[in-house]
Amino acid sequence: MKPDQVTLDIGSPPRTPPRLSSDYEEVPYPSTHWSGPNQGEELPLHYMNEDKARRRVRGTAGLAEDTGDVMQDIGESYDDDGKEFYNKMRPFKGSFTGGRPRHRIPPPPTNFAEFVQQNQEHIPPIIYTLLSCWTRFHLIGKSNVVVWDEAHFGKFGSHYLKQEFYFDVHPPLGKMLVGLAGLLSGYDGSFDFKSGAEYPEGVPYVAMRVMLATFGVAMVPLAWYTAVELGLSWRASHLVAIMVLCDVALLCISRFILLDSMLLFFTFTTVFCMAKFHNQQHQSFSVDWWIWLFATGYSIGCVTSVKWIGMFVTALVGAYTIEDLWTKFGDLRLSWRDQARHWGARICCLIIVPFIVYLACFKIHFLILNHSGPGDSQMSSLFQANLVGNDFGKNPLEIAYGSKLTLKNMGYGGGLLHSHVQHYPVGSAQQQITCYHYKDENNEWIIHPRWNEPPLNLNDPIRFLSHGDVIRLQHSPTTRNLHSHTVAAPVTKLNNEVSCYGNATVGDHHDYWRVEVVDDIKQGSREHVDRIHSLTTRLRFRHETLGCYLRAANAILPQWGFKQVEVSCDKENNPKDVHTYWNVESHWNDRLPAGDTKFYKSPFFRDFWHLNVAMMTSNNALIPDPDKEDILASQPTDWPFMRLGLRMCGWGDNQTKYYLLGTPLIWWGGTISLIASTIILGIYLLRMQRKYKDFEPEEWEHFLYVGKVAFVGWALHYFPFFIMGRVTYVHHYLPTLYFSVIMAAHVIDHFLLTSRRLAENTKTIVYSVIVACIVANFWWFRGLAFGIDGPITDHKGLLWRKTWNIYHQ
Amino acid sequence: MSSASEGPRRRNPASSASRATQSPDVELFDDRHSTSYIPPGAWQVAAESNKTSMAVVGALTAAAFLLRFYKINLPDQVVFDEVHFGKFAAFYIKGEYYFDVHPPLAKLLLGAAGWFAGFDGNFDFENIGDSYTDHHVPYVGMRALPATLNSLTIPIVYAIMKESGYPTVIAAFSAILVLLDNAHIAQSRLILLDAQLVFFMSLTIYAYIRFRKLRYLEFTTEWWGWLTATGVFLACTLGCKMVGLFTFLTIGAAVIVDLWDILDIKKGHSMEHFWRHFMARAISLIVIPFIVYLSFFWIHFAVLSRSGTGDTFMSPAFQETLRGNEMLLNSQELRYYDIVTIKHKDTKVFLHSHIERYPLKYDDGRISSQGQQVTGYAHNDTNNHWQIIPTKALPATGRGRIVRHEDVIQLLHVSTKSHLLTHDVASPLMATNQEFTTWPKDDDTRHNDTLFQLHLNDAPEGQAWKTKSGHFRLIHVPTRVSLWTHPKTLPDWAFKQQEINGNKNAQERSATWFVDQLIAAEEEEDFLNRTSKVAVAEPKKLNFFKKFGELQLLMLQHNAGLTASHPYASNPINWPFLISGISFWTQSTDQKQIYFIGNIVGWWTCAVALSIFVGIIGADLLARRRGVEPIPDPVRNRLWNNAGLFVIGWAFHYFPFFLMNRQLFLHHYLPAHVCSALAAGAVLNFVLSETINYPISIRGHLTRAKPKMHSDLGPKALAFVIAFALAMTLMLVYISPLTYGTPGLDGEAVNHRRLLSTWTLHFAAKKTDQTV
Repeated sequence: MKPDQVTLDIGSPPRTPPRLSSDYEEVPYPSTHWSGPNQGEELPLHYMNEDKARRRVRGTAGLAEDTGDVMQDIGESYDDDGKEFYNKMRPFKGSFTGGRPRHRIPPPPTNFAEFVQQNQEHIPPIIYTLLSCWTRFHLIGKSNVVVWDEAHFGKFGSHYLKQEFYFDVHPPLGKMLVGLAGLLSGYDGSFDFKSGAEYPEGVPYVAMRVMLATFGVAMVPLAWYTAVELGLSWRASHLVAIMVLCDVALLCISRFILLDSMLLFFTFTTVFCMAKFHNQQHQSFSVDWWIWLFATGYSIGCVTSVKWIGMFVTALVGAYTIEDLWTKFGDLRLSWRDQARHWGARICCLIIVPFIVYLACFKIHFLILNHSGPGDSQMSSLFQANLVGNDFGKNPLEIAYGSKLTLKNMGYGGGLLHSHVQHYPVGSAQQQITCYHYKDENNEWIIHPRWNEPPLNLNDPIRFLSHGDVIRLQHSPTTRNLHSHTVAAPVTKLNNEVSCYGNATVGDHHDYWRVEVVDDIKQGSREHVDRIHSLTTRLRFRHETLGCYLRAANAILPQWGFKQVEVSCDKENNPKDVHTYWNVESHWNDRLPAGDTKFYKSPFFRDFWHLNVAMMTSNNALIPDPDKEDILASQPTDWPFMRLGLRMCGWGDNQTKYYLLGTPLIWWGGTISLIASTIILGIYLLRMQRKYKDFEPEEWEHFLYVGKVAFVGWALHYFPFFIMGRVTYVHHYLPTLYFSVIMAAHVIDHFLLTSRRLAENTKTIVYSVIVACIVANFWWFRGLAFGIDGPITDHKGLLWRKTWNIYHQ
Repeated sequence: MSSASEGPRRRNPASSASRATQSPDVELFDDRHSTSYIPPGAWQVAAESNKTSMAVVGALTAAAFLLRFYKINLPDQVVFDEVHFGKFAAFYIKGEYYFDVHPPLAKLLLGAAGWFAGFDGNFDFENIGDSYTDHHVPYVGMRALPATLNSLTIPIVYAIMKESGYPTVIAAFSAILVLLDNAHIAQSRLILLDAQLVFFMSLTIYAYIRFRKLRYLEFTTEWWGWLTATGVFLACTLGCKMVGLFTFLTIGAAVIVDLWDILDIKKGHSMEHFWRHFMARAISLIVIPFIVYLSFFWIHFAVLSRSGTGDTFMSPAFQETLRGNEMLLNSQELRYYDIVTIKHKDTKVFLHSHIERYPLKYDDGRISSQGQQVTGYAHNDTNNHWQIIPTKALPATGRGRIVRHEDVIQLLHVSTKSHLLTHDVASPLMATNQEFTTWPKDDDTRHNDTLFQLHLNDAPEGQAWKTKSGHFRLIHVPTRVSLWTHPKTLPDWAFKQQEINGNKNAQERSATWFVDQLIAAEEEEDFLNRTSKVAVAEPKKLNFFKKFGELQLLMLQHNAGLTASHPYASNPINWPFLISGISFWTQSTDQKQIYFIGNIVGWWTCAVALSIFVGIIGADLLARRRGVEPIPDPVRNRLWNNAGLFVIGWAFHYFPFFLMNRQLFLHHYLPAHVCSALAAGAVLNFVLSETINYPISIRGHLTRAKPKMHSDLGPKALAFVIAFALAMTLMLVYISPLTYGTPGLDGEAVNHRRLLSTWTLHFAAKKTDQTV
């Protein structure tokens, strides 16, 4: 029943017949209907389940348009020498980015119901936050003793309150926040946080713990939002939040005065900002885009300023950015100007901003800690001279024969020239010389003239030390002389050994050292230096007979040398080597006037760099002691399947006991899902090579995107621990755990929650069972984080693996 | 008219087709082998002809033999690791069992060479510098083996390049890089393993390339032949050194790429076809190599049938298979009331006790039980005698009195009449471990604390306890700690003897002891022979696979355990740049020395070539990402597939060393250096010309003909390679006194030859610029 034809005037060119509507609508009405009984042969797509239908597409409809191409491809490429896989690296085409699906921005709500509807995704996190508050704060003050590393970090917090300079291997942000928590809760910094000691009256440890636990509280809503931004289904997002909420290890580590809650918090924010930024990809250079890029960079700055472990999440962002830029590089539609802007924006926000944040933390650190304290000796002498309470300024200025002094190595991380009564077990077996940071009288040396010169006489006129003098350095407590000879040094075998030999009357010409001035910070280059000054003059000591230079370069002696820095005599004369530079730090001479307390500025960047090198050196020195078995330490291989836990405090019957152990289902599940994800990725790739179409392109992008974030994040947080020489503990796995949690949710999402094969009811049931198991598992182990009272043997059923030392060693 | 004289270089292979008027470049239906091109010019005809090629390879091989055999008899002393490998060869000749971390093939070959040369094995290669001539060792025959194999590596390298489709000049270039290299020469003139390793590694690559070229003639006899050859050579490489695993990785990577390509649906292969390919490679590259590798060990065990220095590394069961082993001869069953001495397996001290007591208070303030001291003592002494006391009723005589696995026993210290005991008191040195002491025999109050369970290692139930072979752990019944000792000595109050304590770790491997000697028995007269009726001193049989498994595991463990520092060990980062070498040998009378170092010209060229390769690949990736394709397809494919294989080989033979904690030496880089020489040739070809010989794969019946391309280098390449060879020769000759160890050099000459300040040469003259 066709309608009558209508004549249309659509601006046809002249002298052509007017067109009829039928020219445009030649669509016949269907003569048959698909539901007719004789159509049974070729079942329509509706009749198959969705998965099957997609595969059919390949055989029938899909081929209709592709056949030609495919055949042609076969013909062309069969002879090709090349490998298809790199020929596929063609310019960028797709536009799916795999993040959260984009939604239309809704109109502003007009009534409450609409408001609620529009903000539905914010309701669960509110509930989670409340739950999280309960778990994190519940009984937080139960144990009134210093638990585990509170001994360190509480003490460092105290130093901020007392403004005393201290030294630690971690950057300052986290500890400054501890200090801030102490300040806000009215703590005066007087407690010394001795491990296991009871908190005295007046130390507001509960308030401090609560403030730091707040970071732990925020992890749960952050996990939710991150999952949402990664584009996980709503149930998978719940799963991520629940797993973060219910993990006993994440809970336990957040409840004390430690840095880990902050580290985890900033790790979470970094991933969140990155996911958020990724979702702004379609609107490059918009305000939101800039905000989230900047926030990512800021968050990176914070996480690395808490612990250097934050470098791993930084590496994740770096890997993401490189991949992103590589994609953009292949996008031929982008102008070179836009390319440059993309690069510039990332360099600015992801390199410069974090660096500024990191620098700022140290700046504040130096500003607060302006009093002399236990960490002085790690810094340069000049820096120390600027600290309140340091007496270097009162040292006599000019060095003379008979002066007693300490010598500071000017290499980054260098210590004071030191000797002690122990002897070398190797080489010459004479008294050891080391470089050491701790200040005591074993660092003190007296300048003597040579043996063949008249001995030091206190009544002679004062003889000042100057460039080119050949002297003898006598160790003040043992009266032995600094000595070197042609014996290989214990660690740096190519150098000569330096030892302490003889006594006040016995010695030889191997005790002679020629003083060479490099320059003076105040007086300028060598020509302008006539007398050697303490603190500012940079010196080198050349062995008179062997011609080698006194050097200390971060080579650590074995246990027999107490892990102090080796001092050797370097045969190569390298005038640029700062490890051969020394300066006089403390200086005592009764016959000289006290120096004026003049201030020498120590430049910030130099101090910053110096401190960072010192931190690095100390961090690397935290190697497991082979002679001592550390039952707290664990190997990276112990972590994924949680072979070991960690006792955080004493295990007496009347103590409150905390055991750092994860919720087993979450840890094991996460690890299994990581293994599963690599296997299924391999299978999908193989299937793609055989042109099975398992995914729509956008689904595949999403599957890959979340998988990459989770797997690469996990790998970057896990494998570096194998290379690190330092001792590792189970809490190092906690940031890593977050990524395995995301992977677990992603894998469950993929196989269960967004599966097309399963009925909605099945999904709900399986999902509920999983959630219930996790919660129940958490509940079973909650005591480990909330604190266990009474004999541990009364609490049965906690030993799920024989290797855990919950009940006995 | 030669194409080399043409001005503009061809950018696109398609354009070469259009020049068909000048030379019939495109011969569409030529189904003869790829070598039968009609080359474009007379010069190229001459350069690429088979005759020239044979002449070149002949000359190179002759030069290789000359350089490697020149003064091979000097020095007539033991040099560097000849200490080890010469010794091992001698052990093969004598059939004495030894233990080493390397698989046996290369050493078997050395042993065979020594045997042919008439070496009787009676020289122990004790120290570097020991004279061969004084002891009449036919060392030249042994050194000839590595020298020959390394000389033969040169034509193989040449052939690899030739088969890969590079012109003669380029192939010669790669061969020269290895031929004129001081490091290869120095290493292959001595009784060492690396020449064999490098030889088999290059054979593997050669075989694989031959196999790849047959890919359009799949499953033919030739195809199978080269595939199997690859597998066999792989096994040989692995049989020389564990580094062969890296060769496995290299070939493995290539195979995976290959299989991935076959899997591609666009190739139109069925899955069945894919599985056939997969199985072919699995059999030829995994199963066959494994069998061949096992056969080396089979020969190894078959030859080394007698007891030797390696006995103590092995388990008792293994040792009993060796003829003349002490364990086999002296192993006796133990019975109750026997008096024995007990020795710790790792530290070789006896379980000892004496009348002195632990001090009440230690230096660190801890308190002891003040009981009688139990220590580890290294020397024979009657205080080492312990008697085995039963805790159950015994029959009067007969085999019922034998002590068996899992029996609970007491140990009576014979001279002080007291029982061994441990209790929950911290040991003198380790607060975590339990103190051992003794308790008077007559005092029953602490009977339970004197009970120990005997736990024989890997023993079935009811196994009898034997001297020597019965390795056991002694577990305290009430507290489950095991008797343990460690090399730390106690202070003067215990005469610096070794501490013995109770270790709580049930898995502690070092808590293993054995009964060293049976001193006396309670009743018997002829106790030393009481088991002779039961066991005869004939070597026992042990399953080959068990032996292999045990040895392989030990090799890996010891390999990882080689962490001691060595003055000439170096970090891998230094290797490609020859930052430091190894002093192999010195003779101060003539100021002679052998300093293992490569030819700087060659090694740095290789390093530069590798970086150029990375640059080209990077630039190509970037360009193609932007839709620009600057390199013609055949050339790029050659670069990726062929040069890529060489570079992958280099990377796999180099980078894993960064992850190893064991001590590393410059000579570990030699296999990687050969790969880099191959890559350098490929890169040189790319730099000089954008043409290659293409296609080189042998056409199958179904393959369509492809447009052809001829390599087009011209005389400039020849000029370059000759100049380069000259430079290398000069360098080789200049530092040859360090390589050949002759002639001796005076101090000044040594200083001149110290080309990098990091080389630590001997006999250097004192520097004169001592003033500041």
